[in-house]
Amino acid sequence: MSHIGEVDLATYALTPGALSPAGRAEIAAHLAECAACQATHDFFAVSEDVLDAELRDEMTWEPLIGSETHRVLMECGAHVAREDREAEELLKPYLENPISAAWQMLVTRRRFRTGGVVRRLIRAAHGICDSDPLAALTFAENAIAIAEVLDPDRYSPAAADQLRGTAWKELAFAQMRLGRFPQALASLDRAERYHRRYRPNGANLSIVALLRGGVLYEQGHLDEAMAWAERAEHGFAHAGENRRRMDALFLRGAILFEAGRAAEAVLLFRQTIEYGEEAQNVRIIGRGSYATADCQLALENFNEASAHYHRALVIFREVGPEPDRLTTEWGIARLVLRVGKYDEAIARLRDVSARFERLQMVTDAALVGLDIVEALLALNKPRRIVAIARHLSSVFTDAGMLTGALAAIAYLKEAAVSGELSIEDLGKIRSFLRRAERQPNLEFVRPARPPADSV
Amino acid sequence: MQEPRSDMTPTSVVRPDESHDPPPAFEEAYLRFAPLLRKIAMKKFGIPAVDAEPLVHDVFTTYFTKAEDVEQPERYLIGGICNASRQHLRRGAATSELFCGEEPCAATPTDAIVLEVERKILIGRLFTRIGSRCRDLLHRYYINGETTDAIAGELGFRTTTVLMFLSRCRKRALSAYHAMTGVRQ
Repeated sequence: MSHIGEVDLATYALTPGALSPAGRAEIAAHLAECAACQATHDFFAVSEDVLDAELRDEMTWEPLIGSETHRVLMECGAHVAREDREAEELLKPYLENPISAAWQMLVTRRRFRTGGVVRRLIRAAHGICDSDPLAALTFAENAIAIAEVLDPDRYSPAAADQLRGTAWKELAFAQMRLGRFPQALASLDRAERYHRRYRPNGANLSIVALLRGGVLYEQGHLDEAMAWAERAEHGFAHAGENRRRMDALFLRGAILFEAGRAAEAVLLFRQTIEYGEEAQNVRIIGRGSYATADCQLALENFNEASAHYHRALVIFREVGPEPDRLTTEWGIARLVLRVGKYDEAIARLRDVSARFERLQMVTDAALVGLDIVEALLALNKPRRIVAIARHLSSVFTDAGMLTGALAAIAYLKEAAVSGELSIEDLGKIRSFLRRAERQPNLEFVRPARPPADSV
Repeated sequence: MQEPRSDMTPTSVVRPDESHDPPPAFEEAYLRFAPLLRKIAMKKFGIPAVDAEPLVHDVFTTYFTKAEDVEQPERYLIGGICNASRQHLRRGAATSELFCGEEPCAATPTDAIVLEVERKILIGRLFTRIGSRCRDLLHRYYINGETTDAIAGELGFRTTTVLMFLSRCRKRALSAYHAMTGVRQ
């Protein structure tokens, strides 16, 4: 049997109208009898619908032949990588010696005016903000100075605004750590203004919201702080930033605790522990356990408090840092104090206080001292309170902290000597010392005494 | 109470290398997620393709500068395209624009979108298996919109021959597709 040529079969399958009616009839008749030609015909007649939409979509072709967006973005990615590499080299001496950055005014040097330098300075500031907020401030200020003069021919407005917003945010973080709260809020305003200028900005605005909540919390504006913390939490959830979301959740818990709503706070801290367990992040578990224990102590659920303090302690003993471990031991000592084991509590608190002093954490040492005073008040041993007040006074003086804190300790000593010291006084001094640590210029206002004749 | 840490410690934004190429992770993220972001902008927010492209670009440029800071790239990028799309559409008041405010997020891709994008990515990958001549021919016909007559004229073929080649190439692509997906014809 002779076969029909491939071209005719293709024409019949794909454009049958190109053939005469007689030609079509002839091929149709042949196909009915010839399996080989039928198979070839079927090959050409394969449904065009199957891949049609995909074949017509440029997106399908992009991995193979690229696109303008792909090209531009890869150039952008390469640029970022190159700048970061150069910034690492340029900034090496300054990162090792932050004070030199303060003297050098990096912005005056043209080769430092890059996005990579801004990013590296921001990262450096963030990395040392807790341990050395003044150095962080220097880095952030340099980052801002450079970000503000980035060459508009090299950086799009959106890229420059993102860097500027982030640099101002970092400055605010350092200012918060230094207790300069009004300045921190002003810096956050600047950060927010820059971040609002480009899209997408949700994640960066959420970070600004979280910091704003933190500053307002430190200032004692708990309702406002809560609103910002909630906004930040929402934003982080939206962007899948779960770890940051836990920071926002933690802040909300701390605000509730500060507002005396420990029962509600404990629910939030439980969520952070669950997240930590799921993410196998022991630091988050430790932090959440410690905060939960504080809440349970406030709620007088002593067994629960003990269990959580000890869980936190096991973690902080394992992974540190030392201040967190000490803070947890302090919590356990407070628990012992609350259950009325005064002598044991005093022994534990003395140990914790001495170790805080060794770490130069004088405010914490003083706060522990106030807990010892509370135990001594319960034991009615005023002379030992005076001795503690003298010691705390010398600790603050030796540390050069001639601030309102010293006045508060002086008041403690006087009240103890006169026998007028009360638990309420201790609460006020405690609250003042906490705030004075972040606000060195805060003045201590002596608690008002009721007139003698009204007693 | 222990201080809340307000922000995480960032690590380096990109890993330095000696080449002038972008870090491989950037391209990988782009090729993996860009199609999804485009579809979300277009299908979930009704943004025309021509407007969706700059949004995708903006989302990736912000991502590149903080990539190693990002915990879940897919969630981050989807949140980003939602944020960018909403700003593009200027929905709501200035503050409520920041965050989606909807649960689940308005940008959450449906199964249909995900499947469609996955299929396109898969088909894009199979083009590497069908040979350069087939790729060129299919691209000219389907993307450049050249007619079979024009292609035939340029190549010195008969139109029917071009049709035949097109058919063969489609068939080859389909076979490769079935081989990759494990689906029988």
